[in-house]
Amino acid sequence: MAHTDSAKAAVPYYLKEAQMIKQGAEARVYRSTFLGRSVIIKERFPKLYRHPEVDEKLTRRRTTQEVRSILRCRRAGISAPVVYFVDYATHCIFLQDVINSVSVRDHIRSQPDGLQTLAERIGEVLAQMHDEDVIHGDLTTSNMLLTSGEQQQDFNLVLIDFGLSYISALPEDKGVDLYVLEKAFLSTHPKTEALFQRLLKSYSNASKKSTAVIKKLDEVRMRGRKRSMVG
Amino acid sequence: MYLTQDLELFPEYTVTQLLFKDVKNATELRKMAVNGEIKGALINPSMVVDAFQILVATNKAVHLHKIGKMKTRSLYSEIIFNLSPTNNISEAFKRFGISDSDTAVHIVLVHNKEEPLNIDDIISKVDGQQIDVGQVSEFTDTAKIKKLYKITPQEEKCGSLLDAVVCRMATKDVA
Repeated sequence: MAHTDSAKAAVPYYLKEAQMIKQGAEARVYRSTFLGRSVIIKERFPKLYRHPEVDEKLTRRRTTQEVRSILRCRRAGISAPVVYFVDYATHCIFLQDVINSVSVRDHIRSQPDGLQTLAERIGEVLAQMHDEDVIHGDLTTSNMLLTSGEQQQDFNLVLIDFGLSYISALPEDKGVDLYVLEKAFLSTHPKTEALFQRLLKSYSNASKKSTAVIKKLDEVRMRGRKRSMVG
Repeated sequence: MYLTQDLELFPEYTVTQLLFKDVKNATELRKMAVNGEIKGALINPSMVVDAFQILVATNKAVHLHKIGKMKTRSLYSEIIFNLSPTNNISEAFKRFGISDSDTAVHIVLVHNKEEPLNIDDIISKVDGQQIDVGQVSEFTDTAKIKKLYKITPQEEKCGSLLDAVVCRMATKDVA
């Protein structure tokens, strides 16, 4: 069997051949083949500006939170990429590559009409997710994918990038999750206030705990940046 | 007949899977696996949904073996352990390993590319009929798998049974 030193090189060596599709502050994302399937690899690389012990603990925690949230969502019937393998030594997550999909962001930009059903569906899925006490943490239209179903009008909504997600039952956290989406939605897609309202309505109808969450959302809106804290 | 695949992360190894039915010497085979005469993992095919599931378990086992962090004592017992949704090793062997009364066996071999593998030697030890690995779905006990992995009906909406099983296998350590 190979020497331990070269063993540590297995994943990094493999990543050299992979195609890097994005580099963020937290992680690098690659696409490659793994066990005969197309996969996305999310590598949380070491942050040299951090204290090494802190970095290791923090990175490991983020990786496990991400993986846990994905599993929790799937168990509840919310589409999220399948986790194929997690390397806790290099903090790499090997995920299913959702092929033949388009991000909700691109879809809305290319087809600004007939989005009512989509908005309702997003509201439903988020309600389900929050009812499972999963906070996504980075809800944007770029982190939602659309894949086609069996019929032409059918579509499946897949949530991705659970990198900032965590488990929480607090309405405040869920409210903030929705607030993040609202800000991202309205800034990316101009003049869609009515569409987002529809999304929220669908969320309220679908979620059992929505009243408290919407109340918190209203409170958070009042709190946000450049807002007066008077009253 | 048998399925040979590579592990992209560990290019020095190859994984070979074999499937047998009408096996008459399960007791003997089990002893041979335990004493090392057969250097492979003997798995109960009723718990196997697809060869991919085996590959995922094997990949994780080889990875942990290389960094010295296996939970069990050998690579082959680690493969069987990885298939199980729980962290109880003896339970994993009981449910995923073969028992004396089994008549079908799924064998997984991991070997270094540089060492030639004597497949015929392994085949000759099995008193049964070798069939194509792709036929493992004939033995799959879907109900038993759903129950053991605690797969919810909603989960089946967002993916296949294989997806559900593989996801749990991959996330078992933190779930």
